[in-house]
Amino acid sequence: MTSPYATILAGLIRHRGVKGCLVVGETDGLLVDSTLQFGVNGQIFAALTASLFRKARRASQAAGLGDAAFVQLEAENGRVCAVGRGELVLVVVAEPRVNLGLVRVDMLKAVEALA
Amino acid sequence: MKLQVAADWVEQPLKAFVDDARAEIAVLMHPSGQVLGQFGFARSVDVQTACALSAAIYASAGELGRQMQGKPFTVMHYAGKARQMFLAPVPIDGGTLLLLAVFGEESTLGLVQVYFQDFQRAAAQAAPHWTGAETALASDFEVELNRNLAAMFGRT
Amino acid sequence: MSLVNYATREITCKIVYYGPGRSGKTTNLHYIYGQVPGDRKGQMVSLATQTDRTLFFDFLPIDLGTISGFSTRFQLYTVPGQVYYATTRRLVLQGADGVVFVADSQSRQLKENVESFQDLHANLAEHGVAARDVPLVIQYNKQDLPRDMIMSPDELDEQLNFREVPSFAADALHGPGVFVTLRAISEQVLQRLSGKGGR
Repeated sequence: MTSPYATILAGLIRHRGVKGCLVVGETDGLLVDSTLQFGVNGQIFAALTASLFRKARRASQAAGLGDAAFVQLEAENGRVCAVGRGELVLVVVAEPRVNLGLVRVDMLKAVEALA
Repeated sequence: MKLQVAADWVEQPLKAFVDDARAEIAVLMHPSGQVLGQFGFARSVDVQTACALSAAIYASAGELGRQMQGKPFTVMHYAGKARQMFLAPVPIDGGTLLLLAVFGEESTLGLVQVYFQDFQRAAAQAAPHWTGAETALASDFEVELNRNLAAMFGRT
Repeated sequence: MSLVNYATREITCKIVYYGPGRSGKTTNLHYIYGQVPGDRKGQMVSLATQTDRTLFFDFLPIDLGTISGFSTRFQLYTVPGQVYYATTRRLVLQGADGVVFVADSQSRQLKENVESFQDLHANLAEHGVAARDVPLVIQYNKQDLPRDMIMSPDELDEQLNFREVPSFAADALHGPGVFVTLRAISEQVLQRLSGKGGR
């Protein structure tokens, strides 16, 4: 049975430099669906990213900035982007060379179809 | 809250699990309900009750699984309003132990599952081979046993 | 499976009260709970049906104090006696360090006593335990009932106690025999731990 998120994920993984994209439950940190390149542990990544997104959202609310709309993490060897809607978080993990602007636009479009 | 262990090898893996998974309560026990290590309870008798009930849940779920599908259900998760419970087996050399974890808003089931896998690996490495019952008591225990039983019941 | 911790000098033992339905297993634990000082006991947990029959088990942790330098704790369990809870009985029996068989002394309950005693041995065997290796005492409960309704301890010994384990007459509702039974099983369990073997 095809996941309802398969099309969204297939669109995002096509970007050059994207290593994986996931749909994750924000409150439970469980993996809902994913398209991953070899070497990305989906379960671990889902749990940790959901936790990160929750904390970012709470921090944003505590600072009176409203809900976190888009969370971006820059690391030495790559990028992690997360955007949430309802109970779900759409996550992309990518190499440093990725065109983040394009990925961001596509993620914001894609997240509308999540809930 | 202090971590308490009944066997030294339990301390490091259990502490790492509590810290990483942000568990409010974590208890490692034998499937018969004997506690090996715990974090989150203040009174030892309360830990024993939690262990007895957890062991019962695990045994019941295992038996239910055997009846329904021919093999036991093992990992259990219950989501309450404010807290969630996770109960799962920890295989070690010579047997299987159980880990009960209770977590709240600070954690998620996904995080608990991830760090539980780390805990399983660490426990399997750290645990000595299960050797069964060992000799423990000195020969004068009978006098002390009688004294304590009498004290407990208020008569001999 | 008793747990001995040499580092913290603690011993924890599991004792299971076994027997047919309504023989007085839960009553034994209630009496003990009522007698033990508050700082020496935990909460008594009863997983019971709406009609107060034991559904899964009763559980009472008690602290026996220091024996030979070891802080000693007993975990007392009962099993549900009704025949149809066979699986539950087997589960609760797992890892028991000692068993108290509570028999109903009423003459008309003899068959139930015998069947439950056989069930105990069968369940121990299922756990891979030889019944002779498990500390066991028998309690003949309800000895306070009129003589024409009950069998004497000697008569019950004849029918049940082929292993000649220690047996005690009791009236668990009011207390006689409860303490001496617990004392006997405690001695046997700890004797076994001390390496002296016990029975």
